[in-house]
Amino acid sequence: MRTIEELEKLYTTTLEGRLTGLEDMRKKIVKTINIILGVVIGTIVLMGILGLLGFGIIVVIFLGIVLGIALTHGKMKRYRAAFKSQVVAEVIHLIDDSWTYDSERHIPLNDYHTSKLFTHGVDRHSGDDYVKGRIDKTDFEFSELHTEYKKVTTDSKGRTQTSWHTIFKGLFFHADFNKHLKGETLVLPDTAQRLFGKFGQSLQKMSGRGELVKMEDVEFEKQYVVYGSEQIEPRYILTPVMMEKMVQLRKQYGHELHFSFVGTRVYCAVSITKNMFEPRIFKSGANFEDIKEIHHYIALIEVLVHEMNLNTRIWTKE
Amino acid sequence: MLILIAAIGIPVLIVIFMYNSLVKSKNDVENAFGGMDVQLKMRYDLIPNLVATVKQYAAHEKDLLENVTALRTKAMSGNISNDEKVALDNQISKSIGGIMVAVENYPDLKASENFVNLQRTLNEVESQISASRRAYNAAVTDYNNGVETFPKNMLAGMMGYKRKEVFFIAEAERQNVNVANLFK
Repeated sequence: MRTIEELEKLYTTTLEGRLTGLEDMRKKIVKTINIILGVVIGTIVLMGILGLLGFGIIVVIFLGIVLGIALTHGKMKRYRAAFKSQVVAEVIHLIDDSWTYDSERHIPLNDYHTSKLFTHGVDRHSGDDYVKGRIDKTDFEFSELHTEYKKVTTDSKGRTQTSWHTIFKGLFFHADFNKHLKGETLVLPDTAQRLFGKFGQSLQKMSGRGELVKMEDVEFEKQYVVYGSEQIEPRYILTPVMMEKMVQLRKQYGHELHFSFVGTRVYCAVSITKNMFEPRIFKSGANFEDIKEIHHYIALIEVLVHEMNLNTRIWTKE
Repeated sequence: MLILIAAIGIPVLIVIFMYNSLVKSKNDVENAFGGMDVQLKMRYDLIPNLVATVKQYAAHEKDLLENVTALRTKAMSGNISNDEKVALDNQISKSIGGIMVAVENYPDLKASENFVNLQRTLNEVESQISASRRAYNAAVTDYNNGVETFPKNMLAGMMGYKRKEVFFIAEAERQNVNVANLFK
């Protein structure tokens, strides 16, 4: 994988020039928004002069918003598509040109369920920016994913209200695991122990997610909780080195990490609340900051593969 | 009346709960040892294979090979205590480590497919053994906590439960787990 410095060089030599068309698109959208904003403010000022202030202001602002959406929606969509194909796709290919990228697709919900990371039923899901590739001996896939469940509440007057709650939002990643596995192992953020200490551990025993596996690394135990179908396989997977890396990764990136080891693969869900790989309309899409950010998230995937030693194939699995 | 029932019932319940948890943790230790035993046996099964393969290329290492075979026979003889088993296992680890180092002098052997496969399987078993040892240690720690902390220690004393020892891996053995280095 290319480092950020190499990427910067490639960006200035090849990519930057090609992004001027994209910049024109963005400027047109900003211009439209500015014009609408000008008209709205102008109208309000005029109404002020004519002494018509009051409810009318709300109507004007509302009309302004409707007009704004109507005039920019299509353009925004095209700009977003262009940004994805010209910036995100290019950056991903700069990092490794054998990787495939699809801006519209996401990790299938089936994989999400197979991971067993989240048990809550999913009522709605979305996602994009799907990448598939191989780092050395390890094939992997990841995408942005957002899963939600629906809650319908009925108040005393019989009115129903639907609200949506996030189960997971962030990067969902899975890769070939380097050891043969028989059972299932889950490594989850340890919220219970962080909040309640020892008592939390007793709660975890009753979670119903499998046997609670207590590891000997104290720092690791504070941050994660491990469940397994038995006691030995989780320790076979979670070597002392691996546990140390998991602790480091969480510190370094600051995101909650959920891991599971099921079948032939390792699954990792990285909770990130912001939308990744999206253009910002009031900022040039052709800037290195955005590219750095894309690189940051993709580097996370690479770090995961390397830190978990997924490329070490000294065991029976080829 | 209710107070009387509570005064007798609650302590009885507590004792039952403590008794069960002690028995459970003792069984967990046995179970963990059993898990480790399975992995140790897998390694015993690999030894004849290893000996046969190495013999083909490195007849000079006869002593090493005979040593490991003898240890294996001893370990498989059956009527040995758990502690002896562990001690033997440490010796086996050490002598397999010795063979792996000796192998460095035989490039043909190192390159043979049979040996490479064997080495992978050994790595696998080594990792499994180390995992099962850690599982055993965790079970023993849990058990010891029960046996030594108040008030369970009083009950444990009556039941004749004593503190068990966790595994410490000898320095020499820690090094030989690094069979992976041979791949470099």
